Amino acid sequence: MRYDLIVIGMGLSGLMAAKTAVEAGRKVLLIGKGTGSLCLFSNTIDVLGSVPGTMRMDEGVSHWIKHHPAHPYSKVGSTGVKEALSSFLSLFPPPYSFQAVGEGNCLLPTGAGTLRPTYLVPDTMIAGSVAKEGDVLIVGFKGFKDFYAHYVADLLKCRGVIVSPPEIIPREITATALSRLMEKESFRENIANEIKRELRDETRVGFPAVLGVQNPDAVRKSLGHGIGAHVFEIPTLPPSIPGKRIFGRFREWLIRSGLTLLMGHPVSKATLKGKRVEAIFVSHPPVSRAYSADQYLLATGRFVGGGLVASEERISEPIFNLPVAQPRSREHWFGRSFFGDHPIHPSGILTDASFRPIDDQGDLVLENVRVAGSILAHHHLIEEKSREGIEIVTGYAATKHALQI
Amino acid sequence: MEIKTEAVVIGGGATGVGILRDLSLRGIPAVLIEKGDLASGASGRNHGLLHSGGRYVVSDPEAARECIAENRTLKRIAPHCIEETEGLFVSLPEDGLEFRDQFLRACDEVGIQTAILSPQDALGLEPRLNPQLLGAVKVPDGAIDPFTLVLENARDAEKHGGRLLLHTEVTSFLLEAGRIGKVFAQDLVRGEEYAIHASHVINATGAWVNQILRLAGLHLTMALSKGSMLITNQRLSQRVINRCRKPSDGDIVVPNDTVSILGTTSVRLEEVEQFEVSLPEISLLIRETSEMIPEIQTTRLIRGYAGIRPLVQSEGAGDDRALSRGFTLIDHAKRDGIRNLFTITGGKFITYRLMAEKTVDLVCQKMGIDAACSTHVRALPSTTGPVGLKERFRKFSAERGGTLCDCELVPRADVEDFLKRGGLKDLRDILHRTRLSKGTCQGGFCVYRLLGILHDLRIEKGDSNNDLRNFLEERWRGIRPVLWGTAVKEQELIESIYRGMLNL
Repeated sequence: MRYDLIVIGMGLSGLMAAKTAVEAGRKVLLIGKGTGSLCLFSNTIDVLGSVPGTMRMDEGVSHWIKHHPAHPYSKVGSTGVKEALSSFLSLFPPPYSFQAVGEGNCLLPTGAGTLRPTYLVPDTMIAGSVAKEGDVLIVGFKGFKDFYAHYVADLLKCRGVIVSPPEIIPREITATALSRLMEKESFRENIANEIKRELRDETRVGFPAVLGVQNPDAVRKSLGHGIGAHVFEIPTLPPSIPGKRIFGRFREWLIRSGLTLLMGHPVSKATLKGKRVEAIFVSHPPVSRAYSADQYLLATGRFVGGGLVASEERISEPIFNLPVAQPRSREHWFGRSFFGDHPIHPSGILTDASFRPIDDQGDLVLENVRVAGSILAHHHLIEEKSREGIEIVTGYAATKHALQI
Repeated sequence: MEIKTEAVVIGGGATGVGILRDLSLRGIPAVLIEKGDLASGASGRNHGLLHSGGRYVVSDPEAARECIAENRTLKRIAPHCIEETEGLFVSLPEDGLEFRDQFLRACDEVGIQTAILSPQDALGLEPRLNPQLLGAVKVPDGAIDPFTLVLENARDAEKHGGRLLLHTEVTSFLLEAGRIGKVFAQDLVRGEEYAIHASHVINATGAWVNQILRLAGLHLTMALSKGSMLITNQRLSQRVINRCRKPSDGDIVVPNDTVSILGTTSVRLEEVEQFEVSLPEISLLIRETSEMIPEIQTTRLIRGYAGIRPLVQSEGAGDDRALSRGFTLIDHAKRDGIRNLFTITGGKFITYRLMAEKTVDLVCQKMGIDAACSTHVRALPSTTGPVGLKERFRKFSAERGGTLCDCELVPRADVEDFLKRGGLKDLRDILHRTRLSKGTCQGGFCVYRLLGILHDLRIEKGDSNNDLRNFLEERWRGIRPVLWGTAVKEQELIESIYRGMLNL
C-alpha cells in the first residue's frame, strides 16, 4: 500500500499536517503510538505570549521574525502564520469554536491563580478573560485533586467554594471521569443549585476545565443557566480535557475525510536508499509491517513522546537518526535555576526553508522527509508561549512544501 | 524574651536532640536552639544506614565496637525507625578473598555476627547482584529512618520538659569571667529575640561547630568531608550491599523504603554552606556501585544529594576528652578557659545516643548531679504513625478517601490531620515529616496538591506561589545532577505544567 504522505506523530503538528494533505485530496497515512501531546500540554492556542495585548498578533509575529531569523515562524512569515491558524480555526465552527479576545493576546486565569497570556481561546474559557477582581466565584470539587478553588481564589482576590456531589465522595475522581459526569443533566442540575445558593453578586463562575468532552459549549450554557451567571473553565493539571476535545475533533474530521489512521504502535525503523526514505516499519507484534510513501513528515515531538531521546551523553532522533543540534555536553543541557534558561530547549532538528532536515553544515540529510512541530530546533516554546502556534504553523507549512500545494 | 534554664543545647541534629532527651529524662531543664528545621545537617543527609560496624572492623575496631553496640541498642529502643534488612559484604573477582579472611577475624574479635554465603546462596537472596561474585558475608546491617528518629527524640524530650526553639539562630554569647553568662538568639521567622541564662552550654552543631565557637573567640580545626549520594527510582536490594574490601568510594548500596541509596564519596571542602553533587562524583558512584549491582548502569536516578561529615583534625594529646576515635567531646574549661562550654562533634549518625550519653554524663559531673543515663533502655515512643512499607500499605488499603501523593501512597486524610495539628513554619517542615515528595516524582505533583489543601483548609489564605517556586528550585538542585535518559521526559512534563500552563 503506497501513500502520498505518511505523517509520523499524532500531536497538533501531525494532525495539522494530515488535515492539510487530506484537504488537498492526497492519500495520507497518520501513525501515532499514543494519543499525541494535546491531552498533556494544550488547552488554548498559544502563538507568541510576549506580544502585548494591545498589539495585533500579525504585527507582533512580524516583529518577532525580524529579530529571530532562525525561528520556525521565520520560515513562513506572518502571513503564513495567519493562513495556518485560519486553517486550524476552520475545523472548529460553532458551537465550540476558538477566537481571539481583541486583536492580540488575552490573559486567562490558571490553576495557580496566575494569569497566562494566550491567543486563541475556546468558547468555554472566554468569560475568564474579562473577569474583574471580586466579580468571580471559583468552584472546586471535593475529591478532584488537580484543582484547588481557594488556592486560585485567594490569588485572584475573589471567593472560592467547594462542592461535594454525592457521585464523587467518598472516592476521588479524575478529570476525565468528572468531565463525563458533567455531561449528565442531573449532575449539572444538582451542582448548579448548590452553587446558586452560594452565589452572591458574582456574575462569573470559574470551574476547572472539565466541562465535558462532548458538547462542552452545551455543558457550559446549561450550567450558566442553572446558576444564573457566565460560566468559564480554567485549565488544570494534565490530562487536559480541552486538549482531548481538539484531538477528538481532528480525529473525527480526518477519518470522515478518508484518512488512514494507525494508532497505538511506534515506528521501529526506516529503510533508506541514498538520501531517500523508501519505507518505514511499524511493529505491531507479532508482525512488523512496512509502509511507504512519496513523502514523509516527522512530527514526533520532543522528549515526552520520544521524538528526541536523551542518553547519558547525547540527544538523538530515533527514527531517521537525523542530526540533532544540541549543547556540547550534558553538563550544558540545563541551567542552575529551574525557572531560568535551559540550553536544551532550543535543541532539535535543523531544517532548510522547506522543512527538510539538514546537518550543522547546512547539507541536506534526507530528500523526501519534512520535519514539523516542537522537534524543530531554534525555539523556546515554554518561554515564548508559542507551542500550539509552532505546531499548527509548521505542520501546515511543511506539508504544503512536501506535496507542492 | 528572657529564658532561664540549666542547659542550652545548640544544634538540632541527632546529637542535639539526643542530648536534649537525655537531659530531660535525667530531670535537667534544657533548651535546644536550631537555626533551621530538625535534622538539617548531616542527620538529614546521610545514607540511612544502621551500621553493623563491618565497614570499620578492619581499619578501626574501636569505632566498630561502638557501632555494633549502638546497632543493638537502637534496635531495642527504636524498632519503629528501623528496617532490619541485614547486610551483605560482597567479594568480587578483583577483590579476592584475602580481605574477607581479615574481615571475618576482625568481626569475631569485635563481636559482629557473620555468616558466609556461597555465590548461589547470595544470588538467591539478592538476584540483582553481580553473578560473578565470589561469595558474600552476612552481617546485621539495617536501614534507619533518620528523620523519624530525630523527630521522636525531640518529641519525647519535649514530653519530659525539654524545650525546642527551631528556626532560631544563636547570635552572640555574653562572656564573663571565664564562662558564658548568656546566650542570645533570634527567631529567624518572627524576629523575636531571646536572652537565655543557662549554667552550661553544649555545642552540638556538627560541621558548624566553628560558627558557634567563633562567638566565644574559639576555634576547632575541622576536616570537612563532603559525601555524595544518589537515589534510584526503585529499591534494588532487600539488604544493604557492601563491598568486601578496604572502605573506599562507591562501595555501598543502602535500601531505603521504596528506593536505594548509592554511596558515597569523600571530597574535602573549605566551607560549610555551598556544596553540591559534582559530575565526576556521579560517574564514579554509578561505575563503582554497578560492579556490585550491574543494573545500576541503566536504573533511573531520581535525586542526588550531599552531606558534610564533621571530622575533627586530631587535637594535641592533653586536655580534650576524646572518648573514642569516632567522636570528639571537648571540655573547653581546660582547653580554652571557658568553664561551662562543651563541644561534641564527629561520630556517626547511629552513635548519636552514645555521644549524647557521654556529653550529659560530663555535664552532670560538672553540675555535681548524680543522675544515671537511661536512654539505652527507655524505648523511644512512636508518635508518627506507620513508618514501614507493610504497615503503610495495610493502612492505605483500609482507608479509601483518596491519595495526595500517588508515588508514595500518602492518603489525603493523613495529611489533613497532620496539618490541622498545627505548629509548622513552612512547606519544608511539612515535607520533612511526611513522605510527600520522597517518591519518584520528587514532589512534582503532590506539592501543588499539598498547597491546595492548605488553602482548602483555610490554613493558608494568601499567595502560595512563592512557596511553590522555592520548592521547585530546591527540588531542582537534587534533580539537575542526575537529569538524563527518561528523567528528561519527566522534566519536560513538569516544566510544561509549572512554567507553561500555571505560568509561575
